[in-house]
Amino acid sequence: MTSLFDAAVTASDAGEGRIAIKLRVNGQEREVSIDPRMTLLDYLRDVLHLTGTKKGCDHGQCGACTIHINGRRMNSCLALAAAHAGDEITTIEGLGTPGRLHPMQAAFLENDAYQCGYCTSGQIMSAVALLSEPCGASDDDVREFMSGNICRCGAYPNIIRAIQQVRRDQQKDAAPQPAGA
Amino acid sequence: MAQPQAAITQIGQARARIDGPLKVTGTARFTSDHNLPGMLYAVPVGATIAKGRVTAIDIARARQMPGVRAIMKRGDFPPMSHITPNFVEPLMADETRPPFDDDVIRYYGQYVALAVADTFEQAKAAADAVTVSYAAETPNVDPHLAAENTKVVSERGDAEKAYAGAAVTLDAQYAIAPETHNPIETHATVANWDGDELTLYETSQAVVNHRNVLADMLGLPRHKVRVIAKFIGSGFGGKLWPWSQSPLAAAASIKLGQPVKLVLSRPMMFHAVGHRPRIEQRVRLGATRDGKLVSLQHDYVNTTSILDDYEENCGEATPHMYSVPNLRVTSGLAKRNIGTPTSMRGPGAVPGLFATESAMDELAVKLGMDPLQLHLLNEPRLDEGLGVPFSSRHLKECLTLGAEKFGWSNRDPHVGAMKRDGMILGWGMAACSWLAARLDCSVSVELRQDGTARVASASQDIGTGTYTVMAQMAAEMLGIAVERVEVEIGDTKLPPGAVSGGSMLTASLVAPTEEAIAAAGKALIARLVAGENTPFSGAEPQTLAFKQGRIMAKDAQTSMPFAAALQTLQIASISGQGTGQGTFGAQRPKLSSHSFGAHFVEVTWRPEIARLRASRVVSVFDAGRILNPLAARNQIEGAIVMGIGMALLEGTEYDAASGAPINANLADYVVATNADVPALDVHFVEYPDYNLNALGARGVGEIGLAGAAAALTNAVYHATGIRVRELPLKLEDLL
Ligand code: FES
Ligand code: FES
Repeated sequence: MTSLFDAAVTASDAGEGRIAIKLRVNGQEREVSIDPRMTLLDYLRDVLHLTGTKKGCDHGQCGACTIHINGRRMNSCLALAAAHAGDEITTIEGLGTPGRLHPMQAAFLENDAYQCGYCTSGQIMSAVALLSEPCGASDDDVREFMSGNICRCGAYPNIIRAIQQVRRDQQKDAAPQPAGA
Repeated sequence: MAQPQAAITQIGQARARIDGPLKVTGTARFTSDHNLPGMLYAVPVGATIAKGRVTAIDIARARQMPGVRAIMKRGDFPPMSHITPNFVEPLMADETRPPFDDDVIRYYGQYVALAVADTFEQAKAAADAVTVSYAAETPNVDPHLAAENTKVVSERGDAEKAYAGAAVTLDAQYAIAPETHNPIETHATVANWDGDELTLYETSQAVVNHRNVLADMLGLPRHKVRVIAKFIGSGFGGKLWPWSQSPLAAAASIKLGQPVKLVLSRPMMFHAVGHRPRIEQRVRLGATRDGKLVSLQHDYVNTTSILDDYEENCGEATPHMYSVPNLRVTSGLAKRNIGTPTSMRGPGAVPGLFATESAMDELAVKLGMDPLQLHLLNEPRLDEGLGVPFSSRHLKECLTLGAEKFGWSNRDPHVGAMKRDGMILGWGMAACSWLAARLDCSVSVELRQDGTARVASASQDIGTGTYTVMAQMAAEMLGIAVERVEVEIGDTKLPPGAVSGGSMLTASLVAPTEEAIAAAGKALIARLVAGENTPFSGAEPQTLAFKQGRIMAKDAQTSMPFAAALQTLQIASISGQGTGQGTFGAQRPKLSSHSFGAHFVEVTWRPEIARLRASRVVSVFDAGRILNPLAARNQIEGAIVMGIGMALLEGTEYDAASGAPINANLADYVVATNADVPALDVHFVEYPDYNLNALGARGVGEIGLAGAAAALTNAVYHATGIRVRELPLKLEDLL
């Protein structure tokens, strides 16, 4: 456990009415006692100080807080931390680092698929999840599948370019399909 | 001497942002990402009436809740000072009243108390437990406006007389619903008072201004306040000037002696952090039968708050947009029990052009003329409002190139006549303009022995690409790679920079960066001639020059890169500072400086299921030299996305009884999502505007939104025959 984490535990132990939970975040087991009212989003940001996941509305309306729970995308502001014991949680920090970007992060960088960058963690987490969802091949299909993530800067055209680039690369990498398949 | 290759490759190159790796990995730290040791959380309590008086605030229950450190209300800290705004210092605030100043409630959501606790959950629960009693009155949030204090903004000839005598006339009224900026990052402040100095991590588009306002409001010397904004989750004008949450967080930190984080909820973004007000406009056009404008009258009124007069300058573009001998532009205000409005992306010109460009389209219909031809026919030779030439105006080329790329010549002018795949097509166009100016701005440059450089300025990057463009500029001027430039911004400890607003920052940075580099070069030359055993020992300084990052003898081939010079001198680095003078707000400019553009929009309309979509957009801009086409195109596309929202989706609605914005969330205040946006085809005609700065660059943050809504509703008319004069468009209006 990091020292940052220890400090946070002390701070959040200050009050009453807590419950102890164990969560797996980015491959690491985290054990902490928290306020049962705490959302997964606040737990990540305020307790673990994993601030890459953003809060834009706290009501499941913007997608800035998108994370993966057991490989599927989820708005972490709509999840109570205490309800996810034992689940595998992945945040943007678990995807890649500035020196070792995930292909989707690299594609967002290359295509300028953001402006302010505030919605970007959520966009990327959604985009990565989309790769294993039954999403059609066209730009319009991707637009539809990405419409739970608002980008007020309006970087949508570049977000589509980035995602489609990763999907094309993935297809190229995949083993050649037999004819007619 | 031949210029080094690197020197000409930095500007105009599409390049990924230098801060991009931080943004795509979640490591860029925004205001609310700062967690300081011992930090407390604050949640404001907003008034639930829009007009009246607070009679009592009961904090007893809230104060006893777990983790609560304080419930603050009026009288719990010394009164703060009102701000008298001025742009020069700068000392700008749209809401000039400090929080908790009196017991009078003038708008819904006005802060009346602040709960501070160990965790966000505790603070939120405590805020909810505060009971406020009011003497409520009926608020005035009436959307029908009657102007008070009307004034003439621009006038030439006799517009009324020319209108009366015109062969063809148009008289139309347009309205725009209040728009709320809604950056995805809500406003936030992390305040840290250390007993002597106040540090504010702040969602600010203008850190120097924020520092000045907060220091004055709190009665602190300005040098005791530091404002930091390294990453801003965009602002669109909503984070230009300070709002009440910032002094509240500061007051709580000062009182409690601990850092305090205050992050606004999404509903609070509709209360006390500004919005584009409701605007009503009337446009009267008079023309000859063959389409030459003879008269233009543009009258507008916008809502403002009870205490502050915010004027939406809708006539900003009107006097220079068209050639017309007789013109009159007037503005007026209407006071409402709504929070103070503020600049929102393209303030003034964006709503103004919705009206004038809709009117031009209506006039074209009356004349039986193609709207493109009407525009070309009325292109002015000079700015007829100011009576001076344009610095650089290539609107004609934007119009014709856009028309060509769009295929405008294939347009059948008859309403509803064009079809594709069983859908009715509508094709519309509009022209646009946005000001080009510079602001006062200082930059420092440090040249280092390892061949790298650092440029610094208390300016900001709100997503517009300032980090990258500053690196590109310095790299270009120093003849080094962009990767060798470190950029530091967003901190009042740095030389005072310009605001991120009005699309003026990029243009403002050029001259001071040049000057700072020259100053560092001059200092380097002084050291080289004074030093022993340097290639320039004993030389007269005026025989040497600093160009492209190299010291060179003016009359010889000898030159030396700054890194080698610093190594020879055995000094780690040498610095220089530069300050650029602003042109914004100049009283008698010799040239009229603006960017221009044209939008061509296709909509598809399926009346049987009432489905309207923007299906194709071609836009062309004359925005000076483009420094980074990748980021510039992104800015324009984002603005067009916002234009789609403005035309079809966005509008804040106020409840007549309570005065509350009733759609204060992102499910009910609808902004454009990915699926609302078709492929966008954006082009630039690149004419460097060297009158503005040495690189010929203007800004591109706002121009893309100007005219976009009109192009869209003009397309809707072409598809349906229904003229949308009130935004956002309502589907029921088309049925
Ligand atoms: S913060 Fe979770 S969806 Fe907006
Ligand atoms: S990049 Fe700013 S909200 Fe998406």
